[in-house]
Amino acid sequence: MDAEKIIDSLTSKFPEAISDTNIESERRISAYADADNIVDVCQYLKDELQFGHLSSETAVDLIQKNEIDVVYHIGSYDHPVVLTLKAKLPRDNPQIESVVPVYWNANWYERETYELFGVQYTNHPDLRNLVLPDELLGEWPLRKDYKGFPQNTAKNLV
Amino acid sequence: MDTNVGPDEMLIHMGPQHVAQPGPFRLNVKVKGETVQDSEVELGFIHKGIEKILESKTYLQGIPVVDRACYLAALSNEEAFVGSVEKLVGIEPTERSQYIRVIVEELSRIQSHLLGYAEYASFLGFVSMFMYPIAVREKVLELLEMTTGARITHSYLRFGGVRDDLPEGFEAKCKETFEYVRKGVEEWGELMKTDMIYRERTVGVGVLTPDLAKDLGVSGPPLRATGVAFDIRKDDPYLVYDDLDFKVCTETAGDIDARIWVRVAEIYESMYIVEQALDQIPSGPLFPENLPYDRRSPVMRVPEGEVFYRVEDPRGEMGFYMVSDGSDKPYRVKIRGPVYPTMQALPPLIKGTQLADVVAIAGSMDACTSEADR
Repeated sequence: MDAEKIIDSLTSKFPEAISDTNIESERRISAYADADNIVDVCQYLKDELQFGHLSSETAVDLIQKNEIDVVYHIGSYDHPVVLTLKAKLPRDNPQIESVVPVYWNANWYERETYELFGVQYTNHPDLRNLVLPDELLGEWPLRKDYKGFPQNTAKNLV
Repeated sequence: MDTNVGPDEMLIHMGPQHVAQPGPFRLNVKVKGETVQDSEVELGFIHKGIEKILESKTYLQGIPVVDRACYLAALSNEEAFVGSVEKLVGIEPTERSQYIRVIVEELSRIQSHLLGYAEYASFLGFVSMFMYPIAVREKVLELLEMTTGARITHSYLRFGGVRDDLPEGFEAKCKETFEYVRKGVEEWGELMKTDMIYRERTVGVGVLTPDLAKDLGVSGPPLRATGVAFDIRKDDPYLVYDDLDFKVCTETAGDIDARIWVRVAEIYESMYIVEQALDQIPSGPLFPENLPYDRRSPVMRVPEGEVFYRVEDPRGEMGFYMVSDGSDKPYRVKIRGPVYPTMQALPPLIKGTQLADVVAIAGSMDACTSEADR
């Protein structure tokens, strides 16, 4: 299965939910998915397009756009294409459905993204902090709203 | 896990520092008699915040930091990090430096598998079997030390190449070391095939099926021990792996024994790769001529963009997702380590097994807590 076919299949199945598709190379493709459809999209990717391997799930805080992007890297055991799937969430209330029912190993990734970015995963089986102590929960350490951001130079370090 | 225990059940906390796993993590096991009913992994005891630290370091300063994510796979971590930056900047490392990278990364795989095997043997109670592989590993570390100047955390890779060329006498020393490694591995292999206690404790214990392993997201030797030939070096090739002849080592049983044999086979395969690379390595510069940054300056601006680059770590799939905002420091770095899914898979894997086997099963997964906690 090649990159172009995968994108075509995805966009024809979810014409409303998939946008900004891009073929970066024959082994790397990316797309945005509507946050409300994320579980359906993942299920389709797994069942129909052999994307059975959730490689990672994380988030990026885009403070200047006032949004948080949840980013899924989904690979396959059968073909070499890796899909970077993203969903845009509002920064003041980032909420998205958990994909644990589709990809079992999303469990810890989502717990981590929750404790580091504050993304609320609805229907997650056990949404609590994974590596931070309880008293740090709510600090969202990887968000960008800290004093001194953005740092554009490394002069203070070299 | 439900921590309420019935009258005939018991809750056992293994760890945070337990022989079942190098590095501090806690495994809470609920048992009924000797049988594991349920379990839960607790992380966070050595959380190092590496992803956050990388956001405040320049790209060059990031190299020693990623080394420390898991010191057993320092060179694979460097490859994933440096490779990501190279993709963002658009640098193609020279052919000679690509070969050198393959050589040191495969040597790193050998020493990691030797240590993994040694530690695992000690979990089973074979303390002398801990000593022998460690002595052999020392020789491999000497090879790495003479090349990179460091035994464990190397900071050897650079954007576009490697810091230094292979030292004089490397090839001869490599040949001598490999003879030593082969002799050692053969000896232990004999023991693994014949020792009754070893067989009883490993054959048919902690079985992962291919479907379950895929569902759990497991990669690396634990996945290949179930018969799935998934290896990033073949499936998503990087450096010059395409030009080298090697096979993906697999077993089919999916039990502890199979996982150990996959690693043993990979030690041989890595030596074969290094030998080929030494034969084929071209002469030439270590860095491309038109490098878009000054190698002596630690500051390099990286164009806006993002990349996901993955390599085959000794423990499986290691990937870096890097976002650059055009400044001299990464905007966001996500480290996708192989150990996360492997450790996450422990509770379903040990459910229903005997308590005494938990140590053996956990050890055979060769998970590195330090890398899971990053």
